[in-house]
Amino acid sequence: MASSTAPAQAFRPHADKPRKLAPIRKHGVLYLLSIPGIVYFLIFKYVPLFGSVIAFQNYSIFSGIWHSPWVGLDQFRRMFDYEDFTRILSNTILIGLYDLVFAFPVPIVLALLINELRLLPYKRIVQTAVYLPHFLSWVIVGGIIINFLSPTTGVVNHVLEQVFGIDAVYFLGDNSYIRTILIGSGIWKDSGWGTIIYLAAIVGINPDLYEAAQMDGAGRLRQVWSVTLPAILPTIAILFLLHIGRFLDFGFERVFIFLNPLNSDNGDIIDTFVYRTGLIDQQYSYTTAIGLFKSVVGLLLVVISNALTRKTTGESLY
Amino acid sequence: MKKRMSAILAVSVMASAVAAGCSSNDNNAEGKESQAANSPSGSPSGSAASATPSADKPLKFSISYPTTLNDGYAQRQSDLSKEKWVQALNKLTNTEQIPTSIQVDNMPVMFAGNDIPDVVVANNGISDKSLAGAVQAGVFMPLEDLLKQYAPDLMKNVPQSAWDLETYKGHIYGVPDYLSNPNRRATFIRTDLLEKAGLPAPKTVDDFLNVLRAFKKLGVENPYQMRADFKYADVILGAYDVLPYKDQFEVVDGQVVPKFFDADNMEKALTTMKTMFDEGLIAKDFATVDVNKYFQNIRGGSAGVWSQNAISMPDFVTNLDKSTPGSKVDIIPSPVGPEGKGGYFFYAPVTRAAYINKKVDPDKAIDIIKYLNWMQSDEANYFFTFGTEGDTYTKDADGKVNYKIPETKEEIDEEGWRGGTLFLAHDGTMNRLRLDLDDTGKYVENSFDTVLANEGLPGIGFYPDLSAFSKYPDLTPQTDVGPKLIVDHMVKMVYGKEPISNWPKVIEEYKSKGGDEIVKEATERYNNKDGVVDIER
Repeated sequence: MASSTAPAQAFRPHADKPRKLAPIRKHGVLYLLSIPGIVYFLIFKYVPLFGSVIAFQNYSIFSGIWHSPWVGLDQFRRMFDYEDFTRILSNTILIGLYDLVFAFPVPIVLALLINELRLLPYKRIVQTAVYLPHFLSWVIVGGIIINFLSPTTGVVNHVLEQVFGIDAVYFLGDNSYIRTILIGSGIWKDSGWGTIIYLAAIVGINPDLYEAAQMDGAGRLRQVWSVTLPAILPTIAILFLLHIGRFLDFGFERVFIFLNPLNSDNGDIIDTFVYRTGLIDQQYSYTTAIGLFKSVVGLLLVVISNALTRKTTGESLY
Repeated sequence: MKKRMSAILAVSVMASAVAAGCSSNDNNAEGKESQAANSPSGSPSGSAASATPSADKPLKFSISYPTTLNDGYAQRQSDLSKEKWVQALNKLTNTEQIPTSIQVDNMPVMFAGNDIPDVVVANNGISDKSLAGAVQAGVFMPLEDLLKQYAPDLMKNVPQSAWDLETYKGHIYGVPDYLSNPNRRATFIRTDLLEKAGLPAPKTVDDFLNVLRAFKKLGVENPYQMRADFKYADVILGAYDVLPYKDQFEVVDGQVVPKFFDADNMEKALTTMKTMFDEGLIAKDFATVDVNKYFQNIRGGSAGVWSQNAISMPDFVTNLDKSTPGSKVDIIPSPVGPEGKGGYFFYAPVTRAAYINKKVDPDKAIDIIKYLNWMQSDEANYFFTFGTEGDTYTKDADGKVNYKIPETKEEIDEEGWRGGTLFLAHDGTMNRLRLDLDDTGKYVENSFDTVLANEGLPGIGFYPDLSAFSKYPDLTPQTDVGPKLIVDHMVKMVYGKEPISNWPKVIEEYKSKGGDEIVKEATERYNNKDGVVDIER
């Protein structure tokens, strides 16, 4: 979205008016075309940001933004005073971290594997199969997995009991399994879908490069390592940065569906907490404050990691 | 053909159960209750026709009905104001209502948008979440003067406790659908299994456990059907009178405290449930048994004893007949604990109420009140229960009603809309007119009169809610689910992950995390008689 007029201004800071407007006149139609997009962002993305002021109010839907009393940082204070907040925050960070470490690389590997498939019909079938879970809602995925892992009727426990002779394990009734289940279910559901962008990037690689590599005697693995991966690195970097921005937004539904009193010590995250207090108890200001906190952390993470990736890979969002 | 019909019926019943599961504290929606539970039990007097709005011009008003369904009858209509029963009702009462059906979760949005109909109907009392504090914010009209003048039947028939729930700062704001009998839940047992085991119906908790053990020996998968968070699975908690719910406060040593403060009985109840868990009398994974699984097990015949609304009896009879031929279900008195108590919590006496927008002009408000008062008449009762004479029912010479009992999902939904949604300001305990039509219905009536009348647990409730609740969400109980903090500890103790003897420490934790404030406010309000409702028979 960065404007293309900036360089022109930098060149001639004291240029007279007609010159300044020259590029606009030259590409008038293009600028005109950009207006709806700009208006869209202003109205639907920027204006609502001002709604965040209710984080500093004691908002009532009957008084509205204009008449609700201001309370300063009380909502934030209340958030940090909440006894379980540290537990919930650390759960959120840990789950976010596991998601980044374990779930983020899976689509890359999967895309590389799919790319190596030579039999076209088979490749198509595999692709469709791995995309499919993405279209199921979390409620359904949750139901499937809960049944799958059930100690009485679940397949997993049947195998454990019949084949390995191990007692049935109540996977969802234990703090120690919940994070694995959360990350694992995410991988199952969405990593196939995540391959799309990588596959598109791989398709864009110049075939000459592979040919040259073959001439130099590179095997398939070596080609992947030295041609494919470096070529899609910019894509990986961008997606990584976008992922970082959503670090604390693990998502509400996908956690809520698995939570119960036996595993919520390790599974309760900010999103589920916001649901409990905000939507059920209608504490709009309090939850906006928490949301704002999350957004600020997300923004900081993006800025920091953007600087880091620019230094290390030369790729960055801006 | 018949087979297909019943398949559709089964699906529809399942669907309604799913929808019920989505609403966390809507005591209207569980199972099929909302469809069958309506209409006054007695036959209130009052001249039917003259009580309808007096003006010659039809009374025109907009009204919103709350729903928890996404695909209910109302959602399938293209224009609700042209719907068959709305039209018939308009004709009968000389009104012209413009109805909308709104998701309870969307009601706060409606208030925020300031697009509020003339009459708003909301579930439960004035502090229900769906109202988002609208009563307190002065959105509605105080009604007590109008009611006294224009609604004599309502004033006579609605119990005082129901009015109390609709009162804020001395003014009555809502006209309630009320419950004359606060006890609605019952213990169901598979009598065929009991006969097979050669045991009498259990009377005490000890008997109860022995029956469950016998069921287990017979190979019953779920001797007692448990469910996550002890929802509809609280027969033991009831026997020891330690239900951790919203309207289950009690006075102890001059303080108003939640019933789970009774550490002695709570420990006994938890120990009993742990025994049940250890012996496999309840599912090993009950912490993840949701409403669907719960109904699936009961209807499929894999549960021996369960807790549910008495009004759901026809559902169980129909489904068990199909899944488990030879099965027989009965409602029995709930097992009693050492103090002779037993049963389930008493419901607050209001299930739903109608509120009038304060912007409605006074003459129109008078007519709306008259319209609501008409709901108490026999004419209204027959209309909402059976529809229009000559269309959906006929009357024999001796007054016996011939009514085609709905079978398909469409028919059942249509009846639910007419008899459940449109029917305001009436006694929602049960519809005797409708239940009288068949044997199962009569059985339910009999159970209400002979079993449910003799059990159940009264308590103290606060309407509007204690303000401390909103400060401490984890300590806030719902209508039939305990506070998160308490339920978490209870589940852990039943699973043996925390010693039951720790209960006094749990109470301390509750107190230190904000419970002290809750008890203090409850006690103060109780002493000042500020929005206190004694929920008793």
